[in-house]
Amino acid sequence: MLRNEYTKEKRVGEGTYAVVYLGTKQSNNRKIAIKEIKTSGFKDGLDMSAIREVKYLQEMNHVNVIELVDVFMAQNNLNLVLEFLPADLEMIIKDQSILFTPADIKSWLLMTLRGVHHCHRNFILHRDLKPNNLLLGPDGQLKLADFGLARNLGSPQDLLTSNVVTRWYRAPELLFGARHYTGAIDMWSVGVIFAELMLRIPYLPGKDDVDQIDVTFRALGTPTDKDWPEISTFSAYNKIQFYPPPSRDELRKRFIAATENALYLMSGMLSLNPHKRWDSIKALTSQYFVELPEPTTPEELPKLGGK
Amino acid sequence: MTNTPTPSGSVDATKVQPIQRVSDDDLYRHSSQYRMWSFTPEQLAQKRVEINARAATVLETRVRSFLEQNPDLGSDEVAAITEKAVPVTADEEVLLVNYFARMLLTFATKMNLPTEVAATAVTFFRRFYLNNSVMDIVPKEIFYTTLFFACKSENFFIGIDSFAKKTKSKNEDVLKYEFRLLESLQFTLMNHHPFKALHGFFLDIQNILQGKVDLNYMGQVYTNCKKTIMEAILTDVVYFYSPPQITLAALLKEDEALAMRYLDLKFANEDSPGVLHLETLRTVIVACKDTMSANAVPSKEQATRTVAKIHFGQNPLSVVERMRRQRESASPP
Repeated sequence: MLRNEYTKEKRVGEGTYAVVYLGTKQSNNRKIAIKEIKTSGFKDGLDMSAIREVKYLQEMNHVNVIELVDVFMAQNNLNLVLEFLPADLEMIIKDQSILFTPADIKSWLLMTLRGVHHCHRNFILHRDLKPNNLLLGPDGQLKLADFGLARNLGSPQDLLTSNVVTRWYRAPELLFGARHYTGAIDMWSVGVIFAELMLRIPYLPGKDDVDQIDVTFRALGTPTDKDWPEISTFSAYNKIQFYPPPSRDELRKRFIAATENALYLMSGMLSLNPHKRWDSIKALTSQYFVELPEPTTPEELPKLGGK
Repeated sequence: MTNTPTPSGSVDATKVQPIQRVSDDDLYRHSSQYRMWSFTPEQLAQKRVEINARAATVLETRVRSFLEQNPDLGSDEVAAITEKAVPVTADEEVLLVNYFARMLLTFATKMNLPTEVAATAVTFFRRFYLNNSVMDIVPKEIFYTTLFFACKSENFFIGIDSFAKKTKSKNEDVLKYEFRLLESLQFTLMNHHPFKALHGFFLDIQNILQGKVDLNYMGQVYTNCKKTIMEAILTDVVYFYSPPQITLAALLKEDEALAMRYLDLKFANEDSPGVLHLETLRTVIVACKDTMSANAVPSKEQATRTVAKIHFGQNPLSVVERMRRQRESASPP
C-alpha cells in the first residue's frame, strides 16, 4: 500500500550503500527523494550507515535538518523517503556566477548553526559536516543531511573512533587521534565552512592525513600545552612542525571582507583546544548575528545559475 | 521544535516576545520513545489483546482446515487436537516474552556486552512483540536477531561470522528476520534508557547534598539502583514512565529517605516554582515504584508449557503423532 504512495522517477545518484531517486508523493504531489538502501552483497545484514541514518533522522524534526518523510520496505529493500533538496552549499560556493553578500553568508551560517544546535541538544553528533552535506531547499532553507556517520554523544568512558569527518573539516583533536570527543568536532567543521564561505575556496585543504595537520596548524598556529594542557598526551604531537598563531592582522588580511565580530566568531569556532571552542549556543548568541547586515531571508538567497 | 536561541538584544525591539526555551521535557516529548512507544496501561493492554486475537484467529482457522483435510482422524484424535491445538492467551504471551527478555539480558551480560546494548536488545525484543504475536514468530527465532541488531544500532558492531560463532547459531538464522524486526520497530531505533538519568542524578545528589552523604555509600546506592533499573526495563514501567521517573523510583526503592531529602532540597533551591510540582512528581514515582515491584517473574515451567502450546497450535499433526507414539509405547508389540 505504502509503496504505491511514492513513485521513483529519476535516478540521480549512487553511493556505496544506496541509490537515490527523485520521485513524487502521490497523495499530495510533493516532490521527494528516495534513498534505496542496497541490501544484497552486505553479509552483515543491514548496513551501519543506513541504521544510523534512520535512527537519528527519526528523532529530529527541525527546519534546518533534512526531513525523513517516511520509511518503507519494498522488494526486500529499505527505502528512506526524504524531502527533496535540489542543491547543496558546495555547488553554490563553486558556482562562479554567484556573488555572495556578507548577509548571504550570515544567513547560511545561521541556518547551519541552528541545525547543529538542534542535533547537539538532542545529544547527537553529526560527524560529517561539510558544504556538500548542507543541502538547500527550493525555499532557500539550509538543511543538515547525511547522518550516516552520526552517533550519540557517548558516556564519558566510551571510546569513540577518531576516523570521522571528511579530512578538510576535521578538528585537531581528531587529527591527533582522540578517542574521546564532543560536539566540539562539529563546531570546528562549521568554523571551517564559515571560512570557506568567505574565501570561496576550501580553507584547510590537506592532501592527506599528515598534510592536514600541517595545513591546519600553518593557518591557525600549532597549539602549545599552555593553551591546550592535554595536548602533549597525544603521541603524534611531538612529531609536528611548530607554527606561531596568526595575528589578528594576518587574519584580517586573509578574510578581507570579514567584520571584527565575524572574525571573532570564526576564531571561536576554530579554537584549537576543544574545551575552549565555542559551542552552538555561544556561536548563535554572538555579536556577529546582532550586528548589521541582517541575515538574508532564505527565499532571497542566491540560487544555482545565478537565479 | 524550531525554537533556537535568539541573538541577545534581538534586532526588532518593537515586538519583543518572551523567549520560549525548549526544555528537556519538550525534547523528550519529540523522541520516538515518547511518541510511539509510550502508552497508558489501558492502551498497552488493548494492544496486546489485539495482537493476540489476530494471531489466534489465524491459528484457529488453520486448525479447522487441518481437521477438514483429515477426515479420517479418530474421534479421540480430533478431541485431542481440539483440546491441545489452541491459541495461547494474551497473558501467556506477555509472560513468555518477558521470560525470554530476561534470558536475553542474561545472555548479553554473559557475552560481556555494554549495558546499553543489553538494554536495547531487551527493549527491541519486547517492542517486537507489541506488533507481533509469539504465535507468528516464536521468541527463539528472533532472539539472536534482536541481539545482533541491537549491537549495530548501539554502534557496537560485531561481524555476523563472529556473532554466529559466539552464539552458536547460523548466519542466515540470525539475519532471517532482521527486516521484519526493523519494520516491527516501526523504524525507530533510538532508546533513552534510565542509565544516563541515573548517572545525572548520582552527580546531582552529591552536589545538592554536599558533605551530607557518604561517597562510599553513594557508590553502593548507584550499583543497586543500576540493578533495579535493569529489572525495570523488563517490566511495563518503560511504557508508562520517562527514564528519569524510573530512575527516581529506583532510588526511592533503594533509600526512600535519601530520595526524599534530595527532592525536598532540590525543589527548595528551584528558583522557578510552578515549573515542577514536587507533589505530582512524588505521586508519579511512588506509582512507578509499585508497578515495578508488582512484576511477576515467569517460571521456566510456565514458559515451557506455553512454548509447547504454541507448537501444537502451529502443528496440529504433532498432537496426533504424539498420541500415536504414546499409544505404541503403551502397548507392547
